[in-house]
Amino acid sequence: MSNSIAENIANFLKEYPPFNYLSHDELIQVATSIGVVNLDKHKTLFQIDDKLHDSFYVVASGVINLSVIADAEETLLNKCYAGDVFGLRPFFAKNNYMMTAKAREDSIVYAIPINVFKPFVAQNSQVLDFLLESFATNTRNPFDKENRGKLITDNVYTENQTTEIQYFQSLAYNKTPIKIAVTTVIKDAAQLMTENLIDSAIVTDQNQPIGIVTDTDFRSKIANGRFPITNTVEKIMSSPVITVPENVSVAEAQLLLLKHNVSHLCVTADGSDKSDVKGIISEHDLIVAQANNPGVLIKEIKRALSPKELKQVREKLTDLIQASIAKNIPLPHIYNISGEIITAIVKRSVELAILDLGSPPARFAWLSIGSQGRKEQLLLTDQDSILVFEDVSVEKYRDVKDYFLKLAKRATAILEKVGYEFCPNGHMASNMLWCKSLTDWIKQYNSWMKTPGEKSNDISSIFFDYEIAFGEGKIEDAITDVIFNNSKNNVLFFDYLGNDTLRKNPPLNFFKKFNLEEDGEHKGKFDIKNRAIMPLVDGARLFAISLNLRGINNTYLRFKQLAMIDPKYSEIYLNCADAFLILSKFRTLEGLKNDTSGDFINIDELSKADREKLKNALGPMKELEELIKDKFRLTQFS
Amino acid sequence: MLDWIKNINKDYPEFWKLYLAKFETKSNRYVILSTETTGLNPKKDVILSFGAIGVVNDIIKVGDNFEVVILQYKYLHDNGLSNEFLIESKLSKLAEPQAIQALVDYIGNAVLVGHRIHFDIEMINEVLEKMECGKLKNEALDIEIMHQKLYDITNKSFSLDDLIKLYKIPQSEKNSASDDAYSIALLFLKLKSRLGFK
Repeated sequence: MSNSIAENIANFLKEYPPFNYLSHDELIQVATSIGVVNLDKHKTLFQIDDKLHDSFYVVASGVINLSVIADAEETLLNKCYAGDVFGLRPFFAKNNYMMTAKAREDSIVYAIPINVFKPFVAQNSQVLDFLLESFATNTRNPFDKENRGKLITDNVYTENQTTEIQYFQSLAYNKTPIKIAVTTVIKDAAQLMTENLIDSAIVTDQNQPIGIVTDTDFRSKIANGRFPITNTVEKIMSSPVITVPENVSVAEAQLLLLKHNVSHLCVTADGSDKSDVKGIISEHDLIVAQANNPGVLIKEIKRALSPKELKQVREKLTDLIQASIAKNIPLPHIYNISGEIITAIVKRSVELAILDLGSPPARFAWLSIGSQGRKEQLLLTDQDSILVFEDVSVEKYRDVKDYFLKLAKRATAILEKVGYEFCPNGHMASNMLWCKSLTDWIKQYNSWMKTPGEKSNDISSIFFDYEIAFGEGKIEDAITDVIFNNSKNNVLFFDYLGNDTLRKNPPLNFFKKFNLEEDGEHKGKFDIKNRAIMPLVDGARLFAISLNLRGINNTYLRFKQLAMIDPKYSEIYLNCADAFLILSKFRTLEGLKNDTSGDFINIDELSKADREKLKNALGPMKELEELIKDKFRLTQFS
Repeated sequence: MLDWIKNINKDYPEFWKLYLAKFETKSNRYVILSTETTGLNPKKDVILSFGAIGVVNDIIKVGDNFEVVILQYKYLHDNGLSNEFLIESKLSKLAEPQAIQALVDYIGNAVLVGHRIHFDIEMINEVLEKMECGKLKNEALDIEIMHQKLYDITNKSFSLDDLIKLYKIPQSEKNSASDDAYSIALLFLKLKSRLGFK
């Protein structure tokens, strides 16, 4: 009897490996045996230590997250989209699942019984290879040592491997280092290194390393005259040498360099300094090994010729952020790095637009505003920007403005392709309102600050955080001057700005429970952005402007700086700085986990400890609010 | 009123006796059924095709499937259906009594699930009567009612397409009874988990 449902499923499967290696009849046979499983959002299919199912799975629609728990934290290994195969463990191992598979959104998966599929695997080596490869990529689990060794020899990784794998892959390094004897004269050693364009030489005795000379030694011991160049290298070499075994991973090498504060590692046959020298690893090798290194990303951005290339870099940045957070690198560092990279992306987008349109008719500045203006953007959010061009004569004004509007339209469209959605409020340079001459902008800021509330009670605080991405730095300075000149003794302005800060809804209710969203799409979740993070951001800005803090846009740094210049309240500021980092981390983790902006947190999913941590981080805000009321005498308003 | 007493000793066809015997045990199997008919009047209209698929333990069993096109000769000329549908399609084709018998064999004592399933059952019962059998004894669940129950809606009806859109069920381009049965099966699983019944 015919089975058109099996037919449909077979047609779906044949698009994806390893099923594309099977014939139509074989696929029908597989499809007929399939069980279709519906997974509602957040539903777990299997979790760590569950007994193995008798099937493996293919995503039919939706997205499945594969994750492991390491150090009591959930780490995302992989996201599976339609056509992706996962849950292959029963093919290759007998013990329980090593990871958790959970639906990130409403999903449908096909369960293919192992015993039905096994014959095809046995008959078809391509199918086997593919499954082995996917199993390995699905198995990036540090605890799964047992299988890892075997698999890595079984298959060669393809290009599109992800950060972690690169991180644990072994390093490529110089396998023919310069070896010299202790009796070598310094001058000769330097000559040898120069000829070979190598910045280090290993001092050996019977091919065993006893010391190393590097460029640093020549600077710190020779060039400053401490030793004459006629001495032997014995005088200047660093000893002992830090040695590593041959198959060292990028991660290990990096740790060793940091731990011993050295720039080179010597590779020996058995990893001790009592065996033969096999090569040398320099810091440079490490950088090259990590394609996702920030420096490399910036280089890629500068060379990018299409939005697609920029998008790829942005995706790598997400991986980088994810990896950095997983490794507990402090958030301010991550903010710095990602801020620089995103600014480079914006800059390149404007450049690409200019390449398209021809040179601009006047000087201008493209400013990122809002979160990117503060360099606090880790997740893909909407884009906010303004464009300021220098004043031009009246008859040229129209053409000039036309050009810049066109430019902004192109640049924002490129950014949209990179993954930055258009700002729903139209806060973009492509908007006529936010693309104008310096004089007009000065007028704009004057009206915002001198007569706030004239047009509306809202104050566009987003325009007070900006960062130049492209163009004339002087224009940015001019805007900053206007803001700080206007802010002097401007009680009314601070009244509005202060009240705007206080107007946000409190995060906890009277009973010290989280105020959750009562309706809408995010019902039952905690709006961490508006209830917890924005008040701190607004507060930091308020004090920064009122205390004349120029050039510091980052919320964390603003609080740190405030603690210094306003020592009376330094404790409050420092607490706020820490709270801001904690809250931002919650938001970022949520965002990375679900590919969203992370604005809404599901409190129920947090562990008890995390919930307390989150609650504690809300405390400093209360103190800050009191301070705002007190400093700006807002009590009569609120 | 005392019809059932009359029926006790009635001599049913063999397949029907087998069917009745299956109800001595309870089933954990659901059969999702979609029926295509010429119209909405059980007395006048006839069944054109069935598509059905089984669900056990919240898993749709692709192999547990039933589809058949019924050759309704007397309607061939005036119901506007193309030859392609009735003659050229690859689906298996049976005459009405054989099709119904195959269906009854297939569903057994499973719980029937469908969209406005009571109409489907009524259509089937109509044929069963002609074949001198009783009425279907299966329990039945209607996904439209399940949906109304989930949201406590009583004053609005939902077509299958409405539900498919509401629950964002991925749709195939084709639209046979089997495809509908598959969509209904996915809807059923979603509704079942949200209503929280086993």
